[in-house]
Amino acid sequence: MTILAERPDVAAEPPEPEPEEHRARGLLAFATTTDHKRIGVAYMVTAFAFFLIGGALAGIMRTELFSPGNDVVSQGRYNEMFTMHGTIMMFLFIGPFAFGLANYFVPLQIGARDMAFPRLNAMSYWLYLFGGITLLGGFLTADGAADFGWTGYAPLSDIVRSPGVGADLWIMSIVLTGLSGIFTAVNVVATVIAMRAPGMRMFRMPIFTWNMLVTSVLVLIAFPVISAAGAMLFIDRNLGAHIYDADFGGSAILWQHLFWFMGHPEVYIVVLPYFGIITEVIPVFSWRPVFGYGGIVFATITIAVLSTGVWAHHMFTTGAVLLPFFTASSMLIAVPTGLKFFNWIGTMWGGRITFPTPMLFALGFLFTFLVGGITGVMLASAPIDFHVHDSYFVVAHMHYVLFGGSVFALYAGIFYWFPKVTGRVLSEGWGKLQFWMMLVGFHLTFFVQFILGLEGMPRRVADYLPEDGFTTYNRISSIGAALLGASTLPFLWNAWGTYRGRLGRPAGNDPWGAQTLEWYTSSPPPPHNYDDLPPIRSERPVWDLKHGPTVASREPVTSDG
Amino acid sequence: MRYGRTVRALLRPRGPRRLLPVALALATAAACDVPSFGAPDPASEEGESIFTLWRGFFIASIVVALIVYGLIVFAIVRYRRRADDVPDQKAYNIPLEIFYTATPVVIVAALFGFSWVTEENVTELASEPQNRVDVVGFQWSWQFVYPDEGVTVSGEPGEPPEMVIPLDEVTRLELTTTDVNHSFWVPDFLSKRDLIPGVDNELDVTPTEEGAYVGRCAEFCGLDHWAMYFSVRVVPRDEYEAWLAEQRADPDQPLEQPADEDERGTVS
Repeated sequence: MTILAERPDVAAEPPEPEPEEHRARGLLAFATTTDHKRIGVAYMVTAFAFFLIGGALAGIMRTELFSPGNDVVSQGRYNEMFTMHGTIMMFLFIGPFAFGLANYFVPLQIGARDMAFPRLNAMSYWLYLFGGITLLGGFLTADGAADFGWTGYAPLSDIVRSPGVGADLWIMSIVLTGLSGIFTAVNVVATVIAMRAPGMRMFRMPIFTWNMLVTSVLVLIAFPVISAAGAMLFIDRNLGAHIYDADFGGSAILWQHLFWFMGHPEVYIVVLPYFGIITEVIPVFSWRPVFGYGGIVFATITIAVLSTGVWAHHMFTTGAVLLPFFTASSMLIAVPTGLKFFNWIGTMWGGRITFPTPMLFALGFLFTFLVGGITGVMLASAPIDFHVHDSYFVVAHMHYVLFGGSVFALYAGIFYWFPKVTGRVLSEGWGKLQFWMMLVGFHLTFFVQFILGLEGMPRRVADYLPEDGFTTYNRISSIGAALLGASTLPFLWNAWGTYRGRLGRPAGNDPWGAQTLEWYTSSPPPPHNYDDLPPIRSERPVWDLKHGPTVASREPVTSDG
Repeated sequence: MRYGRTVRALLRPRGPRRLLPVALALATAAACDVPSFGAPDPASEEGESIFTLWRGFFIASIVVALIVYGLIVFAIVRYRRRADDVPDQKAYNIPLEIFYTATPVVIVAALFGFSWVTEENVTELASEPQNRVDVVGFQWSWQFVYPDEGVTVSGEPGEPPEMVIPLDEVTRLELTTTDVNHSFWVPDFLSKRDLIPGVDNELDVTPTEEGAYVGRCAEFCGLDHWAMYFSVRVVPRDEYEAWLAEQRADPDQPLEQPADEDERGTVS
């Protein structure tokens, strides 16, 4: 499968590669590896498998809601499904996939040989995998999986109302994957701080690496809180404590505070890496540098700082939080996010834009995420939230952010970096088919949910009445969901076919005319990543190599390293 | 259908107006007065405030979205690759960057101002509400207690209870739960409030339109969450008195049949 294309001017003698026959292969290689690239691929493949499971659950839910009445699954099963759908997508798919990308590309982008702590890295992966299996194990227990929503609100999640083992498995899974995230975050921070190549100053790092750094810091702030909150819930349930039990002097609302203190940074944890991907893709296909590099880094850091002070906008209707403060902080966070939009537009402005699949997905992201962002400002307004909170409006908003935003960007990233990982470029035809199916399917599914929410359909309902008047929009939504689900098939076919060499084309080192360091090495990179490094004098060393440093964009070219 | 008759009769029929997509409503915005953008017509004073705020936010959003979409589309069309020369590589424009940072701050500050005023307006509790109803949520129905009148209306799963409140008067709702979290939501009042153990919530409602309105539990509360319907009937003072007397006289009687078609929900 490997296509080793020519490498530009290898200056130094490359280090002797490990003889091929001494390197473990197949399952053994997978189980024993500490190589950041293999762990990265393992993360991404595992996360994608969870994505398929979570998507299948969503498909069953949309089928159930196609008509009033219990058609497919019982109410109890339905409750398990949306709980597991949310938990899988948030904790096992969208975040870990970003960490998979970070594992693979952060060391490459800064010219490092591996992550700072390779064995800790492997441990993170295994914690994540077994944390995920623990969660799914709930389906095999007598009482089924956890069924209190992915937010696990107390007191519904206590031992009386949710006596099943599935609930305990859910808690353990949250704690395990939380630990995994913390370890990976430590690793990313250490790698970025300590392992940059000569010349790779902080302000020459690719934006994806910047965003992963900031994301990791956010993980370090947020995840210990949820791990502790989960541990306390476990103690309440199994050891007879009353931490979340208001009847015995505990506090039910404490869970909401702790959960959302993790939960809102979490939203940015699963969005910032994908902003990073967009900021990698748009310059490459516009033949332009990132517009306002300093501004975009500033925006990312500002988002991170603000995101630790907005959690209670999930709790406006509890009557227990200071409304104006959280309205103000939540609206303010729209400013740095909006700033990024102008950076992206500014990058395209005056460029020479082409539209291969990665760019299509990036543009799909721009169009869709904007709706998510704007409805986010609406939800930040406490009085408007009084009406639409816990309704399908929120469901639509969150999917516009996390699917229309993160997943579109995730596919942009897959199509953009697949050549680097496998040595082959994914098929454009299948990619474009997938894109258009996804775009149409997505908006069909989720746009009508805004209207459903405004009209009064609460979220997490297993059923509704014909007289509710929700049937038409639910049907549209379910049909859209079928199309959206089907759009995964061209991708799976494309990825498999290209990997096997039947679709796509050989990549060479740099199939896109890209700018950042990872495109300097071969595709796939050798185990040690780089035989040699080009001079790094701006934030896009590979571009400088091709076009000369005279057009270096942001800072004057200096001779220092 | 188990949850059939009572709820069914109380739910307001959805005319073709409800099926109009938001976009279509937008298109007609110039011709007639400002559309509702998908929100229900408010049936209370508090709802009216929120409705007005919602429309303001929606219009502001549309303007911002059109500007951003316009810029994106323009850039894609105008700067698609037509030549293979390397374009200008300038990647900063400090005045422009300051402008597009400061402008959103101003917009957001204005939106926050409107939001704050509305919020103060709708969360402010009257010093002397004329009526009081204690709303008790439980898995999976509601109980409405009129402590000053000695009247209690209890629902059970499948038998949604009805709350009757007088028109144009402030009714104070005291929200408590006996088990898990619930949320009291009447979409036509455009407002909801959670019922949480250990948290005492109060909400004032000032209905302005006669009619019967469906209410739902908005906070997920377990198995039958979806079926936690209730209804709120808004009647003039004299009818309210009559209803109270009737309830007091015969509290164990099944709830009266819902009102006739012409008395039901109003569409203004």
